[in-house]
Amino acid sequence: MHYEAPIREPLIIGDKSYHDITVDVARPIETAPPRSWWIVFSISLVMFLWGVGCILYTIGTGIGVWGLNKTVGWAWDITNFVWWVGIGHAGTLISAVLLLFKQKWRMSINRSAEAMTIFSVIQAALFPGIHMGRIWLAYFVFPIPNQFGSLWPNFNSPLLWDVFAISTYFSVSIVFWYVGLIPDFAAIRDRAVRPVTKHVYKILSFGWGGKAKHWQRFEEVSLVLAGLATPLVLSVHTIVSMDFATSVIPGWHTTIFPPYFVAGAIFSGFAMVQTLLIIMRKLFKMEDYITIQHVEMMNIIIMVTGSIVGIAYITELFIAWYSGVEYEQYAFLNRATGPYWWAYWSMMTCNVFSPQLMWSKKLRTSLMFTFFISIVVNIGMWFERFVIIVTSLHRDYLPSSWSMFSPTFVDIGIFLGTIGFFFVLFLLYARTFPVIAQAELKTILKSSGENYKKLHEQHGDH
Amino acid sequence: MATTKKYWKSFDELAGTPTAQKLAQNEFAEEIPVEDFLGDDNALSNSNTSRRDFLKYLGFSTAAATLAACESPVVESIPYVVKPDAITPGVPNYYASTYFDGNDYASILVKTREGRPIKVEPNDMAAFNGGTNARVQASVLSLYDSARLRQPMKGGEAMSWGDVMSSLRSELKKANDSGKEVVLLTSSIISPSTKEIIAELGNQFTNFRHVSYDPMSYSNKLDVWQNILGERALPSYRVENADLIVGVGADFLANYTGQDVAKAYTDRRTPGKDMNRHIQIETQLSLTGSNADKRIKVKASEHGAVLLHLYNTIAGMKGGTSLASANLPEEKKTMIEGVAKELANAGSKALVLAGNNNFAQEALAAGINRMLGNFGTTVDTNTPVYLRQGDDKAVASLIAGMKSGNVGGLITWGVNPAYSLNGFAEGIEKVGVTAALTDRIDETASKFGYQLPVNHFLESWGDYMPTSNVYSLAQPTIRPLFDTMQGEEVLMNLAGIDGSYHAYLKGFFAAKVQMAAPMLSWNTVLHDGSAEVPNMYAASEAMGTIDMNAAASAANNDVKSAGEMEIFFYQKTGMGVGNQANNPWLHELPDPISRVSWDNYATISQADAERLEIATKANSMGAYDGYTVTLKVGDRTLNGVPVFVQPGQESGTIGLAVGYGRTMVGKAGDNVGVNAFALMSGDHYATSAEISEISSDRDHGFACIQLAHTMMGRKIVNETTNDVYMTAAPQEWNELPLFETFKGKMGPDKVNLWEDHDHETGHMWNMSMDLNKCIGCGACVVACHLENNVPVVGKEEVRKHRDMHWLRIDRYYSSEESFAADEEKVEEMSGLWGENGSLGGFGELEKASENPAVAFQPVMCQHCNHAPCETVCPVGATVHSKEGLNHMAYNRCIGTRYCANNCPYKVRRFNWFNYKGNEDFADFNPSQDEYGKMVLNPDVTVRARGVMEKCSLCIQRIQYNKLEAKKAGKPIEDGQFTTACAQACGTGAITFGDVNDTNSAVYAAKNDTRAYHLLEEIGTQPSVFYQTKVRNTKEA
Repeated sequence: MHYEAPIREPLIIGDKSYHDITVDVARPIETAPPRSWWIVFSISLVMFLWGVGCILYTIGTGIGVWGLNKTVGWAWDITNFVWWVGIGHAGTLISAVLLLFKQKWRMSINRSAEAMTIFSVIQAALFPGIHMGRIWLAYFVFPIPNQFGSLWPNFNSPLLWDVFAISTYFSVSIVFWYVGLIPDFAAIRDRAVRPVTKHVYKILSFGWGGKAKHWQRFEEVSLVLAGLATPLVLSVHTIVSMDFATSVIPGWHTTIFPPYFVAGAIFSGFAMVQTLLIIMRKLFKMEDYITIQHVEMMNIIIMVTGSIVGIAYITELFIAWYSGVEYEQYAFLNRATGPYWWAYWSMMTCNVFSPQLMWSKKLRTSLMFTFFISIVVNIGMWFERFVIIVTSLHRDYLPSSWSMFSPTFVDIGIFLGTIGFFFVLFLLYARTFPVIAQAELKTILKSSGENYKKLHEQHGDH
Repeated sequence: MATTKKYWKSFDELAGTPTAQKLAQNEFAEEIPVEDFLGDDNALSNSNTSRRDFLKYLGFSTAAATLAACESPVVESIPYVVKPDAITPGVPNYYASTYFDGNDYASILVKTREGRPIKVEPNDMAAFNGGTNARVQASVLSLYDSARLRQPMKGGEAMSWGDVMSSLRSELKKANDSGKEVVLLTSSIISPSTKEIIAELGNQFTNFRHVSYDPMSYSNKLDVWQNILGERALPSYRVENADLIVGVGADFLANYTGQDVAKAYTDRRTPGKDMNRHIQIETQLSLTGSNADKRIKVKASEHGAVLLHLYNTIAGMKGGTSLASANLPEEKKTMIEGVAKELANAGSKALVLAGNNNFAQEALAAGINRMLGNFGTTVDTNTPVYLRQGDDKAVASLIAGMKSGNVGGLITWGVNPAYSLNGFAEGIEKVGVTAALTDRIDETASKFGYQLPVNHFLESWGDYMPTSNVYSLAQPTIRPLFDTMQGEEVLMNLAGIDGSYHAYLKGFFAAKVQMAAPMLSWNTVLHDGSAEVPNMYAASEAMGTIDMNAAASAANNDVKSAGEMEIFFYQKTGMGVGNQANNPWLHELPDPISRVSWDNYATISQADAERLEIATKANSMGAYDGYTVTLKVGDRTLNGVPVFVQPGQESGTIGLAVGYGRTMVGKAGDNVGVNAFALMSGDHYATSAEISEISSDRDHGFACIQLAHTMMGRKIVNETTNDVYMTAAPQEWNELPLFETFKGKMGPDKVNLWEDHDHETGHMWNMSMDLNKCIGCGACVVACHLENNVPVVGKEEVRKHRDMHWLRIDRYYSSEESFAADEEKVEEMSGLWGENGSLGGFGELEKASENPAVAFQPVMCQHCNHAPCETVCPVGATVHSKEGLNHMAYNRCIGTRYCANNCPYKVRRFNWFNYKGNEDFADFNPSQDEYGKMVLNPDVTVRARGVMEKCSLCIQRIQYNKLEAKKAGKPIEDGQFTTACAQACGTGAITFGDVNDTNSAVYAAKNDTRAYHLLEEIGTQPSVFYQTKVRNTKEA
């Protein structure tokens, strides 16, 4: 049995037994969803369908239904893409990197964080597809044998690297997530009363028997996958950032982008986890598992990554001045003071100033405040991508081609649609999947559970 | 022996056995058991084609038929049964012809493919006006305008030509018999044979009059020159002889007397000691004024006084008699005196050109030229130009006659006076017989009794005499598309002359032209398009006298009568007088100065806009919005005129372009802009105009393709002065950026991240753009548009900055008094805040000066040898060629737009919609029109939706000529072919060729000290390069 120092706060609060955990985790699956769930689900579904309509309109009529022009060739499409990919970073970081670092507090949040990852990568993956002028030829980007002779994609193009990076990340994440789900599905299966439910969870749990051998393999696979997933946390956003960093456009052509993007991704990912979990712990009555301590830990990560992002912003400004390149200097002056100054300062306020408030213990342990900041950070990170993409493009080298960007209802509709789609998936997940990795959580009950810690304190080691 | 060869199938047949002979009688050697099978009912009913089998066959054949129907629709192309000798499919034919629409004259070559004219190109062998402007380039589309009238009409009913003509003849006869006047109202006619026909026509009537009418009249100028030349014509200007040109309101590079002087002008713009100097004194920033070395702003009412002051000052210097003192503010007088001094110094090598249609101004200008001794040097009084014939007095008396009911018959031809002439429409009712020879039911024809459709010029014969020593012919290049007749033939019919105009013209040529110029043969002139003939002008010694004192007081009166605001009417470089107002190419062509397309508008200065609170402003998508106002000139008003702020506009003046605001021209041109002719009377300006009824908000959207107008102190158009160019080392005024490397300082063409492409072997296509020769006229833009089937996207899309032009002409204004001062301002910036801070400084640089220096820069794909677009395309749809070109494989493109984002020059154009199918574009995109699509160049693909496109340096021409050279077994010669833009450029600003050919012009251009690459420091290594712009700031 792992020993944990008594001064550490318990990770599971209350007088819990193994059975209590099982019951608490299975409750949302085994009970009918409340009215509030249906309301939120309906709203999300309507948004999703509206988004589908906008996407079909785009594909049917042309990219011209968006607000783009000859100068600004990407705007909300790639902004949304990068935003969603960034959000998708927290899950893998929590489940893989924190696993390798043996951070036990990840156990009650990694399942949902990873679900969030997968659902947001799905949203992200939509955009490179629908932003194409000819989506029906999207298979051209895959290096598949074809009848065109030896015609391959262009391996120099960062957009092609994106294809590989995103698809690898998505597949590894989904496998990792699923492997973790197997013992929990088995637990649901064992508790299920209705034959259909039982059958479904039986299939999903891949015949898990809970034997020692099973557990051993489970541990090994988890570790291997964590090892595989860890570099991906760094690589995906690095490669996404190269879409910009390898270009020649002032404001894009920046070597700081890979670390800056990765930090930003983790930053926004944790903010999204906060947004989701603060609501979920309340609705699903999981305050005992997702404690203030968890929230605080995540707030600290948000504070640290937010500071890294802030340093990156300031470094960009410094390098622009230091480089002596007039175009570069103007690009950054224009960001801060040009027509899109409001986007830049929204970004600065949301991403640099607001996380600094987390230095205050009182604020970072306040749920209301955390929820508020998590929304602010997500808005800020959306603006960061908008600032990078649109304000760099709209005024580049030749003033004759300078332009502006204004979204159409289709741009907005597709973005709202992906938010709807994301919540549709997440809400379905919340009612059908065990939202906490209960099998894993049980391993720390006796070392980090509040009652056991108390017992330990009272009775010593026996 | 050979003839006895015998073929046989068997030995029996060879031997001729009886069996063989018997078999030979039968159709089939063996019996075919048809009867056995079909004759035997029993066997037939027992055969087992079951119901199942039947259904199987039915199913299979249905499925097979369905699958076969899945193929894309088959478009039949029918081969020639008997191929015409001249036509080989895929090979173009060229015919020399002449373009004259009453306004523009050009000697042209018409390119036809499979019998269809698809492009108009300039004629190198032209004796006069060999260049093509944007309108001439675009004219081929007017042939395929589906708004053309397709058959003769009388009173709204379609009729046959025979019926309509006999009816018209008898009605005209009746009108003549009643003693009333019969009038033929035409645009300027310069065809000697047509003039003869008109004379014959006049003989049919007792009271006949031919009235010439130009919508933008030059009548008062003609009156002045009639006094000098003894003939109603304008002189030729020899701009090539002028060291100093002073334009006073004369837009002589774009819209002036019809004589094309741009080439002669730019030939003298080559920097060096022979470079000319150009001073422009004007109200409205014109194309000509944008090219000037020095530009002085004056009010429209001051043009006369400016000329008067020039006259007086020069007279003072030369010891001549001065006229009444000019009524001008002192500071303007000082500036004008400076100009006068320069003119006096230039001696007989100067030229003063006056704009407007004003007797006093033209008389003063002529007087100055005469005083300076320019007659015979820069003003050629021996070869008059006949391109302007309009007579204001005759037109005025016609309208008076119409209103008083004295005109019994009125025939119009090639004019639309109900649109362009005030008072005309009201007079129509009182005219007995009205017949319009027209190409469409326009504003005039719709009010007329007879509408007689005439051929397009590409369907017509014709002869022209633009000057006294040039004769040119026009020939049809296609049979008339509709049931139309040549205008001359209609007049011949009315005049009772039998036969075709073609025959008449040949007869005229033999009888009259060959008489005067025996060395000409019909075939030679037809082949060459034009020929020089012995000068027909006989200098008249008995010159009239011009009352210069009256001119002086008229000039001063203008200033006295000036109101708070004045108005100046001008012609847009693209639209001109609006003869092709339904031509979407001309609408889509942005105005070279304002960069606004699909519109005309009142231009005002920033100061006036602020005073009246009617400034234009860009909205959140970067499109300009403006207020609309009502303009009032005298008792005429024009509602809903949008207001656009124009740098370079003199405060207190309004500029308004004519040619817009048509209501009955066709789907593309209807209701585009407002009709400025409604405010005009004779002259091109009015000294008093009122702005009223300002709209409550910015309710007018402009389709302006340029949002930012200044260069922000960047080295985009490299510029220097002639003095510096001649004296300083090239590195001082054309600095090559150098990079620090471990091998020492290196130029951007040497520093490489990638392996270089091999550019030594084979061709290496390069292009040079001489910024000193580019006057910004836009002919190349239109030429590129039609050569490459570039879609027309319409006002709304242009407004969204989605214009598709592969070649654009960027126009920059300086923010300070010159571009050099802009650059200096950036260099002097220090820190963010404060007086020299960059925060405020760049904001100031975004604003154009009130009298800016202007620079034009044509930009198309730069064909970078290290192209940023190529590396980022995920599918390799844009790749580099061995010949220095950046290719675009449309079929491979999936439309990520990454290439466009990464292009520093922003020359890539994306197909946002299906322009050739989407209904929103049906009204103006030629490829959606049943007739318009015939103009498409068959050598160039029409691009699909979702595909990126851009300049290919006319790859179709390169390939064609490479193949031709290969067939001929000899290398491509320099100048054997060129791109559409270079060909259309009337000033020779664009040089295209193979730099691996060291004898080529482009090789020489590349090694010129003025050559530089745009944004060289990025290391893109473009194949296109520019020649530094040099201004002549040295006062003569």
